[in-house]
Amino acid sequence: MELILFILYPLALVRLRLVLIALAVHGALIIGSGVRYGRIPLIGTHDTLGFLAWSIGVVYLVFGWRRRRGLYSYLTIPLILLLIAGSVISPVMKGPLPPVLRTIWFELHVILSFVSYALFAVGAVFGALFLHDGEREQETNQYRNLLLGYVLFSVAMIFGGIWAHLAWGTYWLWTPKELWTTIVWFFYSLYLHARLVRGWTGRPVAWMGIAGFLIVMFTYVGVGLLMRSSHEF
Amino acid sequence: MKNFFLSLKTAVWLLTCLICVFFLGSYLMPAYRDVHGAMNDRLLFEWVEQVALDHPWVTGWFFLALTALVLLTINTLACSIQAVRGKWSREDFLLRISPQLVHGAFLVILLAHLLGAGWGYRLSGMLPEGASVRLPGDRVLFLREIRAESDPRGYVRDWSARIILYESGRPVADGLLGPNAPLFYGGMGVYLKSFELQPSPAAFLLVTRDPGAVWALAGSVLFVIGTVIILFLKWKKI
Repeated sequence: MELILFILYPLALVRLRLVLIALAVHGALIIGSGVRYGRIPLIGTHDTLGFLAWSIGVVYLVFGWRRRRGLYSYLTIPLILLLIAGSVISPVMKGPLPPVLRTIWFELHVILSFVSYALFAVGAVFGALFLHDGEREQETNQYRNLLLGYVLFSVAMIFGGIWAHLAWGTYWLWTPKELWTTIVWFFYSLYLHARLVRGWTGRPVAWMGIAGFLIVMFTYVGVGLLMRSSHEF
Repeated sequence: MKNFFLSLKTAVWLLTCLICVFFLGSYLMPAYRDVHGAMNDRLLFEWVEQVALDHPWVTGWFFLALTALVLLTINTLACSIQAVRGKWSREDFLLRISPQLVHGAFLVILLAHLLGAGWGYRLSGMLPEGASVRLPGDRVLFLREIRAESDPRGYVRDWSARIILYESGRPVADGLLGPNAPLFYGGMGVYLKSFELQPSPAAFLLVTRDPGAVWALAGSVLFVIGTVIILFLKWKKI
């Protein structure tokens, strides 16, 4: 069923607003998965990659509502398709939530994390657009995405801390995943400060926005694959 | 030196340093698990004293991170004090105060980590059903009962442990521990980490006291308020 998304999302390359159809179908699939397994559909790589792709689609639509097709779509849609492909080939975690994950703090932590990742992704796309055509508006859009993403990511970290305090008796654990999460937070703090320093504005911060998303993706996928941590995804 | 700590560039370079040092730490932690494993099992200052100082090459990243954080704290304080000084107008009050709110929150969260690293305690161990254990502050923890629910396939679906807490010989709190459901009393938290039913029921319990936790929460709330104000103001302005 998810394979239909490989037809629906590319329709946005014809007309951007057609992404609404893909988002509606994709959203229904995500909700359907939640209903089928009786849990929040954000457990494991299959679920989270799919949700990240959908979130990027939503952010892409909101920030591109008045845009015509162009590089914005040519960069974002392949990224969405790549994430869906990753989701499709990943194993599905069937069954209900393990008891330790049955809390609103975990759900809010995960949802906000992936929405902020989506904002960082579209921010990186705007960075690439700025580097391509040098229009100030693209850099402003990148800043808006990354600032909103930073706020949501910070809130997600706080919710994660509350959950950890209730589950493990500490709001902070020294593990590679936590260190990389802090690296992401430090990096976007660095971006927000560097943007105010003369000589860093313009192309350097646009590059930083792109590098930030690569760090986010490593934190999300790479750390889980390469380093053992309390996080399984 | 004064200008060094008042410079925004200092913050940029210190954040860059922290990113590099944390990157190094994320590589060294799994590579030297025997050295870093105890970081989460005891107070951080105890780990520094008992483990980290004996392995300076392996734990050097941690001390570098600590140094960078101290410098960043001074830098944040200096920049915020300078920003707060000077003339204020009604029009730009929120725009000027909100970054200082975020800076203040960041410092409160660091202070919380410091408190949690040096004060309080983390005690853990297996306690058989029907047994009790003495805790700091003339308290006694009694494990009354362990319950586990299994699904039809035999997988454990849920578990809980009923405990009673005594202080100076009289019961002061009782409750049901479970996943994400600790018992808090007088600044102390009791957690059910795991359990076993064979050969006889016993629970692995964790008892913690972290004086920084409340401050971390307060700093986090302040941080969110500050960043949301910045977001609102900047979104309108740009």
